[in-house]
Amino acid sequence: MSELDRRIFLKLGAAAVIGTTLAPGITLFQAFAQDETEGRTSSKDRWGMVIDTNKCTADCTECTAACRTENNVPLFGDPRYDGHWIRKVTVTPKTDGAHSRSLPLLCNHCEHPPCQHVCPVAATFTREDGIVMIDKHRCIGCRYCMIACPYKARTFVFKNTEKWSNPDVPKRGKGVVEKCTFCAHRIDKGQIPSCVEACNKSGEKAMVFGNLNDPNSEIVQYIREHAPKGLREDLGLEPKVFYKGI
Amino acid sequence: MAKGKITYSTIRGDSPGYYALVCVLGALSLAGFGSAFMMFSQGHYITGMTNAVPWGLPIVIAIYLIGLSAGSLVLSALSSVFGKTEFKAFSRMASLLAALLMISALISIVLDWGKPERILVPFFSINPRSMFSLNGMLYSAYITICFVYLWAMFNEKEKLVKIIGFTAVFWAVLVHSGTGAIFGFVGARELFHSPLLPPSFIAAALSSGTALMIMVLYFTFRFTGRKLDEELLRRLGFYLAMFIIVVAYFVFIENITRSYWPSNYAMQKFLLLSGNKYSLIFWLGMVGCGLVFPFVILINPATGKSVRWILVASALVVTGVLAERYTIVIPGQVLPLEIFPGMNVTSDFQDGQINDYSISLAETLYGLGLTSLVFFLYVLALKFFELMPEEAVIASDIPDTSGTGKN
Repeated sequence: MSELDRRIFLKLGAAAVIGTTLAPGITLFQAFAQDETEGRTSSKDRWGMVIDTNKCTADCTECTAACRTENNVPLFGDPRYDGHWIRKVTVTPKTDGAHSRSLPLLCNHCEHPPCQHVCPVAATFTREDGIVMIDKHRCIGCRYCMIACPYKARTFVFKNTEKWSNPDVPKRGKGVVEKCTFCAHRIDKGQIPSCVEACNKSGEKAMVFGNLNDPNSEIVQYIREHAPKGLREDLGLEPKVFYKGI
Repeated sequence: MAKGKITYSTIRGDSPGYYALVCVLGALSLAGFGSAFMMFSQGHYITGMTNAVPWGLPIVIAIYLIGLSAGSLVLSALSSVFGKTEFKAFSRMASLLAALLMISALISIVLDWGKPERILVPFFSINPRSMFSLNGMLYSAYITICFVYLWAMFNEKEKLVKIIGFTAVFWAVLVHSGTGAIFGFVGARELFHSPLLPPSFIAAALSSGTALMIMVLYFTFRFTGRKLDEELLRRLGFYLAMFIIVVAYFVFIENITRSYWPSNYAMQKFLLLSGNKYSLIFWLGMVGCGLVFPFVILINPATGKSVRWILVASALVVTGVLAERYTIVIPGQVLPLEIFPGMNVTSDFQDGQINDYSISLAETLYGLGLTSLVFFLYVLALKFFELMPEEAVIASDIPDTSGTGKN
C-alpha cells in the first residue's frame, strides 16, 4: 500500500468508527426522547382492563360480537382473512388434570409497544392516556407491526368490505392494518369499551375497565386485591390487559 | 495499472437471440408488475399471505435481491479496495448489477405494501427506531453510492473510485446488518430473535452474490463472444467456497444453540425433523443446495477446476440462498406465537396451530417478474453503456495471490 492509500484508508477507517459509534446513540436518543410511557405518570388517565377467567365461559361471545358491530370489524367468511380486534381463546394447561379456561384476547396496549417501535412511518402511536392507535391515513400496509406483536392482536384488511354497521367508527379500506382501540371514540365520550359493556350487560361480568392512574378506581382496587397478571410479562412490554386465574 | 488498459465497449445487441432475451425478460417483468397491480386492486387475499403469515414471497425476494446486490458490490470493489486488480474488468458490470438488484428489491418491498400509493409517506414520516425506516435510508443511499461509483469508473477518476470503493464496502456491511436486524430485533418470535442474523446475512450475501456474478459473467461473455479467462472464474469459485464455510458456520451455531434449550425443542423439531416442506426447504434447499453440494463440488480437485462444475455449484448456491431467505422469513411466522407458555391454545383465529403458507400464482409471478426486471435492465444497459470489457484476462505481470492460481 502506498503512503496515500494508507492515509485514505486511515481517514475512512476513523470516520467509519466514529460514525458507527455515534449513529446508534443518536438514533436511540431520538427514539427514547419520544418515550411512549411518558403519560404513565403525567397523564390523568391511563386506561387498562382486567379479565377474570374464572367467570368467562367458553360459549359466551358477547364481547367479540359487540366489538364487531361497534367497530365494523370485517368478516369475510374465511378464517385466514377475518379481522379480529378481540377474540375468544381456550387455553388448557399441558399438565394432566388441569381444566381449560376461556378468555378474550385483544390488544394489550403495551407501555412499550413493539408494533409502534417497528412502524417505519410512525403510523402507530400512543395517546397520552396510553391507548395505542393506528393512523389509518398514514399506514402504508407493510405489516411489520404484525410481525412484531407477540399477541397477534393486529389484522390486515385483505379486501374491501361493504358492510359498515357503525357510522361513528371510520371505515378502513383494504391495505392497512387495524386493531383494538379500547373504543377510544367511546372513551372520549365518557363511555366504556363496547366489549366490557356487553360483558356487563348480557355476559358473565368478567371484564373490569378503568383508569390505572386513579388510585380510587375499581380497576386499581381490583388489581390490588387479586394481583392479576399480564400475558408474556417476561417480554417486558408491560401490557395493560391483566388476567385473573391463569 | 501497468498492464494494458482495459477497453470497455457496448455490446452490439442486434442478434435475434438478444432480442428474444430482451422480449422474454421484458414479458416476465410485465407479468410481475401485472400481478403487483392485481394485489393492489384486489387486495392481498390473492397472495398466500394471511393474518397469521403476513409476510410472504415478496419479502423473501426482496431480502434475496438485497443479498445478491451487496455481494455484487463487494465483488466490484475487489480490485479498488482489496487490490485484486485482476477483477477490475468486472467492476462496472458488477456495480451496475448491484444497483439494479437493490432497485428491484426496493420495488418488491414497496409494491408489497397494502398502500403502495403512499410511497412518499416514508420520506416525510420517519421513525428512527424502526429498522424498516432506517433501512429505507441505507438502501437509497446504497443505490446512490452504486451510481456515483459507476460514474467515477466511467470517468476514470482513480482516486474517487478508491474512496467510493471503501465507502461502498462499508455501506454494504451496514445494509446487510440492517436487513438482518429487521428480523433479528423482533423479540416476539423465537425463530427471528437472534443477534447472529445481521452477520449471517452478510455471509449469505457474499456467497450468493459471488455465485450470481460467476454465472452472469460466464453467460454474458459467452453470449457476446468475448474472451473471459477461465482462471478468473476459478478464483471466484475459490472465494465462493470460503464464503460457504462462513455461512455454514453461522447456520450451525444458530441451530445448535436453539436446539440445546428445552423450550425450543418443539420449534427445532418442526424446522429440522418434521419432514414437512419447511424442513425439506431447510435441509435440501438451504443446507444441500446452499452449502454441502456446492462446497463438495468446489473443493473436489476433479470438479473444482472445471468451469462447468463451478457454474453448477454457483447455480446451486443461488438456489440455496433463496431457500435460506425463505427459511428466515416464513417458518418464524408459520409457527404459532407462544402467547400462553405451557398451555394448549385453540381459537377461531388459528391460535396455537401451525399456520400453513403456500405461495400463490400471483406471488410466483411477482417474484419472477421482479427478478427478471434486474436482468432486463442489465441486458439493455450493456447495449447502451460501455460496461463490458472487450476481454477479461489475467495480465501476466500480476502476481498470483488467490491461492488457487497454480492450477
